[in-house]
Parts: sequence; structure tokens; C-alpha cells
Amino acid sequence: MLYRTAGQFKTSYEADQALFPVKQDAFLLGFIMVLAWVIFPLTASEFTFQTLLIPILIYSLAALGLNILTGYAGQLSLGTAAFMGVGAYACYKMITIMPWMNPIIAILLSGVFSAGVGVAFGIPSLRIKGFYLAIATLAAQFFLVWLFEKWSWLYNDNASGAIQVPNLDIFGLYVSGPQADSIVQYYLVLFIVCLLTWVCINLTRGNLGRTWKATRDMDIAAELIGINLMKSKLTAFAISSYVVGVAGALFVFMWRGAAEPNLFDIPLSFRILFIAIIGGLGSILGNYLGAILIVGLPVVLNLVPEALGIPVSSSMVEHLNFMIVGGLIVFFLIVEPHGLAQLWRLLREKLILWPFPY
Amino acid sequence: MKHFTRLALAGALAAATAGASMAQELYAPNLAYRTGPFAATGIPLMNGQADYMTLLNERDGGIGGAKIDFEECETGYSTEKGVECYEKTKGKAIVTQPWSTGITLQVLPKTNVDEIPILAPGYGFSPMMDGKTFQWAFNTPAGYWDAADMIIQYLESQGSLDGKTIAFLHLDHPYGKEPIPVLEQLAADKGFELSPIPVGLKEMQNQSAQWLQIRRMRPDYVVMWGWGAMNAGAITEAVKTKFPMENFLGVWWSGHDADLAIAGADAKGYKSISWSFPNMDAPVMKDIQSMVIDKGMSKTDETEMKGVFYSRGIVISAILAEGIRAAQAEYGTAEINAEQLRWGLEHIDMTEERIAELGLDGMVPPFKTSCANHTGHSGGWMLEWDGEKFVKVSDLLTPNVAGYQALAEEKAKEYADANAPWPVNEGCDAM
Repeated sequence: MLYRTAGQFKTSYEADQALFPVKQDAFLLGFIMVLAWVIFPLTASEFTFQTLLIPILIYSLAALGLNILTGYAGQLSLGTAAFMGVGAYACYKMITIMPWMNPIIAILLSGVFSAGVGVAFGIPSLRIKGFYLAIATLAAQFFLVWLFEKWSWLYNDNASGAIQVPNLDIFGLYVSGPQADSIVQYYLVLFIVCLLTWVCINLTRGNLGRTWKATRDMDIAAELIGINLMKSKLTAFAISSYVVGVAGALFVFMWRGAAEPNLFDIPLSFRILFIAIIGGLGSILGNYLGAILIVGLPVVLNLVPEALGIPVSSSMVEHLNFMIVGGLIVFFLIVEPHGLAQLWRLLREKLILWPFPY
Repeated sequence: MKHFTRLALAGALAAATAGASMAQELYAPNLAYRTGPFAATGIPLMNGQADYMTLLNERDGGIGGAKIDFEECETGYSTEKGVECYEKTKGKAIVTQPWSTGITLQVLPKTNVDEIPILAPGYGFSPMMDGKTFQWAFNTPAGYWDAADMIIQYLESQGSLDGKTIAFLHLDHPYGKEPIPVLEQLAADKGFELSPIPVGLKEMQNQSAQWLQIRRMRPDYVVMWGWGAMNAGAITEAVKTKFPMENFLGVWWSGHDADLAIAGADAKGYKSISWSFPNMDAPVMKDIQSMVIDKGMSKTDETEMKGVFYSRGIVISAILAEGIRAAQAEYGTAEINAEQLRWGLEHIDMTEERIAELGLDGMVPPFKTSCANHTGHSGGWMLEWDGEKFVKVSDLLTPNVAGYQALAEEKAKEYADANAPWPVNEGCDAM
């Protein structure tokens, strides 16, 4: 009923191939956009900004970057956190060397550095596949974190070995550092995430995306129909690392405010891989759903006992939280092995037919 | 939907009643870590802190008539959770205890904006002792630079250090690197050779490479800045490689009873500098036993209660309580706010008499804070593991603060410049 497609006729191929063949999809997206751009910022508290809205957006973006590589081009990577680190350190160096630089430009440029590093570590993918490639990216993970620790130029020879985000402003409005307002940071993150998501949707629906999918599904067949595998794999590495690098710069500059090298260690890589897998490999929407489940849900669950007035100690809540989130992950993967995005896809199919299924 | 409304209503009701009962309370949250990789050290510290506050609430009806709501927010030592807890509690909190270097790093720059004192007893960024720059941060009663100075002083009392070598085994992390500037300065002054040996976060439990290096180098002393699993790892390796235990010393976080109990009598002679000591005969310990533990209001057990870390928890809460008392006396109100507590923490005067009055005999050295001095530089005792427990083997050692005063000011200024605009408390005189 809500999703009735009756009466929506397609009279041209273009209309049939549009991003939203069903009108309701566009309405839904519009509604979510209104929520994200107007309703949330007007109603959210400092706590909501800092623990839910901003981190979910940043993690979604990082997962989106990984999804391009793993979900669309089929190249398994375990080095996401290290590429995020490259973005963060590049942004830090640019800001400290050129303090006059606009922070938004610095963040967008920092992705270029991680794209370069990503391509360098992507070269082995031309020869090795699957698990072997995963190990090669794991090498990137170890090497880069080691480099962040040992190369003191990266953190300006700071005695503590950590990078601290300075107060940066755009035309007098603080956007990062302790002086920045959460709402300003939120809008900036939202803007960059929307922009990159829009670019990625178009890339994956276009020629490049089809090349990636062909490479993923069967690389020999792809080569036989004339796809240049080197170009396909390396562009996937470059674009994926670019997005991940920008996510890393946002992660430190718009949210954490400070970072030690071990922040970019394997646990973060796995966390992002989980988001991508649970959300659904090879989908854009899945990254957001996955991030809500993995990043947002534990925060919300932590608030439940207190809101209900149940006296449980904080450490007990934490233990319960682990069990509930872990259980949910297993549950969702059993119900739908292709992730939350596929779950939504099926639900939508059912909604279109409802209330008169065949 | 109906169900959900009821749920929301219940939540709102609970929040409202909780708000009403808060009226006569001081909210002093603690960002605890009873879970995660460092839980073994976190639990005794958190229990000690909580038990002292429970004692004050039970015995004296709180502080100055206001009960202390000493709520814990679990971080599992993760920075991300720590920031979540900080954001959750900062609205009504009068103090924040971040408990990890990572969380301190995140929270420290925000304090000037949020105006909540950070209490980081014995940890955090050493230049925080400069109260003029770090208006809201307190690392009473002693910082890492004090610890480094006291350890070297103790070693010097065992014989001249000229020409000796000291291996500095440390966690490769901001925490472990913290004392290096002072140790290097002392090495130049006293003529000993300092060789830092880092232990990566992934190598904490397996330090065979580091100890092989120590065996080859044959240092006269090994000084350790370890944390969590690294301590037990180092002590077992030292026993295995037959390193003379009496030449092995650690900072206060490397003196956890449970870590040494693993090696037992083999670890006899290991030393750790400390500004707290478990004096089981102190009146406060007896009060806690009878009024908190025997009534079943504590989570601790007998072995844990005898340990160094549990008593350190008590001392930390006692310092906070003294800060609250000082603020209450100055402002003439039981319900102080965060800014008033900052004044209180700047005016703690722990004299010998006051320590005895509080029943903390022999558990903490006397110290005094001021507007410019946020550490207090209490000094500490060298504790030695006798095979079963830690015993005091030195008189009170007091750090030679003048030696690194200039360094602290320089680093504090660097920090302030990097974080500009950073308001400085001009009202303070120089340290």
C-alpha cells in the first residue's frame, strides 16, 4: 500500500534505469535527508552529536570506502585502518605546515595521499587473489602503524607520540579542535559524507563500477571481454583508499581530536570490515545500516537500564552489551547472510506487493 | 506503539525521580574500567575508590552534609567509550576521572571549554603540574617526572651512578615515553648511560626479544614503565633470565600485587616507587572493613584489600574528598559546582596532622597544592616485594622538582601554543 507502484509508468529506457525507478524510494531518501540535515541537528544534544551522529557518519564513510574495494571490486583488504591513518596524518601535516589552509580542502586533499599509498599496496593484487591478497594488505596494516610510531616527523616530534588537533577555523567559525561546536562539525561531516556518497553511487552505477563488478565476479572472464584488470583493480584501490583516507581525516579532526598510532591498528580495520559485511557487501546503503548496528546500537543500549531506572552496575551493562550486540550480529547473518542491505531489499519487494502477495 | 509509549513514560518518570533525589548530592563520576584488557588492575583501584566514598556516605553522611554520588561509567579502557562516558556525565559532574592516557589526551583540551576539573592522580601528562597553563587538570599527588627523579635518587643512595648503565624498559605508548625527557636530563647530570627499550603494545606478553637485549647489554639497573599485561610479562621474563631482582625497579603502576604473586618468592627484591601504601592498621582500613565490607556494600575481597592498588584507590578518593571539603569551606555551601571544586583541589593541604585525622596514617605522604602547582609533589616510598607482599624499604623520597621546572613550563607552553587559543590563568604567581 505504502509502496504501491501501480500507475508509475516508464516510457523511456532512461526512466527505467533511473536511480529511483519507484517514486517512494525518492520520498524515503528525501525524508532521511530532512532528518539528517534539519531534524537531527535541531534536536540533538552534545552527547548525541559526539557519540551517535558524528561517529556513525564517519564509520559509514570508512565502510563505504572499503566496500568499493571489497564489495564491488572483490579485493579483500585488512588494511583499512592503516589507510585511515595515512589520511589523518597527512591532514595533520598539511595543517601544521600550512596553517592558512582551509580545513575542508585539507581533509579532501588528505585522501589523495592515502590513495597513493593504497595504489602502492594494491600492486600485489595484480598477481595474488583472495586470502593471499588479504595477507598482503595486512602487511600494509603492520607496516604503516609501525611507521606512524617510529617516524617522529609525522607527529612533529611531539614527546607523547600522539597527534593533537589544533583549533581551526573557516572565516572565524571554529570547525575542529576543542573550541569547535558539535553542530558545526556535524554539518561539515554530513556535507563531506553526502558528497562522497553521491560520487560513489554514480561511480558504482557507471562504467567503472561495471568493470569492478566484472572483475569481482570472474576476473578471467572480465579479461576475455576486454577489461584491463590492472586498471580496474588499481582504480578500485585508489578510489577506495581515497574515501577511507578522507574518513580517517574526519575521524581524527572532526571527532576524536587526538590520535595515537595504535588507534589505527587492526581492531579498527576489523570493525570497519564488520560494518561492511553486516551491512552488506556490494551496497551503498548497507554501510549506513551496518554502522548504525555496530557503532550506534551499543551506545543506545548503554542508556537503556538507566532510562528505565533499573539499577545495574555500569560494568554489567557493558558485559550485557557485548552479548546482545554479538547475538544480534549472529542473528542478522543467519537471517540474511548477504547483510542488512539485502534484508531491506527483500522487505521492499514484499512491501511493493503488500497487502496482496501472490 | 502503546507499549513504547509506556516504556518512554517509565523512563521519563525514572529520570524525574532520579533528578529529585539528586538534590542533596554531589555527582562525582568515575570513568571506570572493570572490563577489557586492563581490568585486572582496574578492579582493585575502582573498588578502593568506591569503598572510601561509601564509607564517607555511611559514616559521615557524605561530605559536609552532601552525599557523594560516585557513579561509575564503564570504559573498558577504550578511548572511544571514555569519550562517550565523558559526554554523558559532563552535564552535572563536578569532576571527571579519565583513568587512561588516551582518554586524558582527548578530554584535556576540552576542559577549558567545558570547565570541569580532571583529576588524574599519578598519571597523565607530566607538564600538567603547571597549574597556570593547565587550569583544570590535576595530577596530584605526584607525576611521572617526580617518579623518574625519585627512582634515580633511590639508586644514587645505593652508590654513585657515574658510568653505570640503566635500561629503561617502557611501553611504546605516550604513557611509557612520558619520563624520557627527565631521565635523559638526569643521565647527563649524573653521568649514567640511559638506554630506552620499548615494548610494543602487541609484545606486552612476550618480551623475550627485549630481555635478550637486556642480557646482552648487562645493565646495572632496569627501570620499568609498564602497564597491564606488560608488568607480569617483564617480571616472569626477568625471573627466567635470572636478572638480579633487586636491580629491577618500576613506576607505581608496575607495582600490582597480583602481577608479582605469579612469580612469588622468585620475584623477591623487585621494587616499585609509590605514593600510596597499604597500611592495614590505619583507622580508615578498619572503618572500611567494619562499615562497608562487613555490611556487604563492597565488591572487594580479602586478598585484594591488602594490595597496593586497593589502598591507592582509597588515597585517590581521600584526595578528592579533601578538595571537596576545601571548596565547601571556602564557598560556604555543601553543593559546590565544578568551578568551586577546582578552587578546592588547588587548596588541598595534606599535612601529617590532617592525614592522621583522616585515619590515613602511613598511607599517603603529606603534600600541598596551589593555584600554580597542581601536582603537589608529595614524594613517595620505595616499596619492595618480599615474596608475599610489598614492604617499605626507604624513607620518604621527595622529588627535586626544581630540576625539571623549566622543562615543564616549556612543554606546557608548547601545548598551549599548539592548542591556541588556550586561556591561561594569569591570576597565578609563578610556581
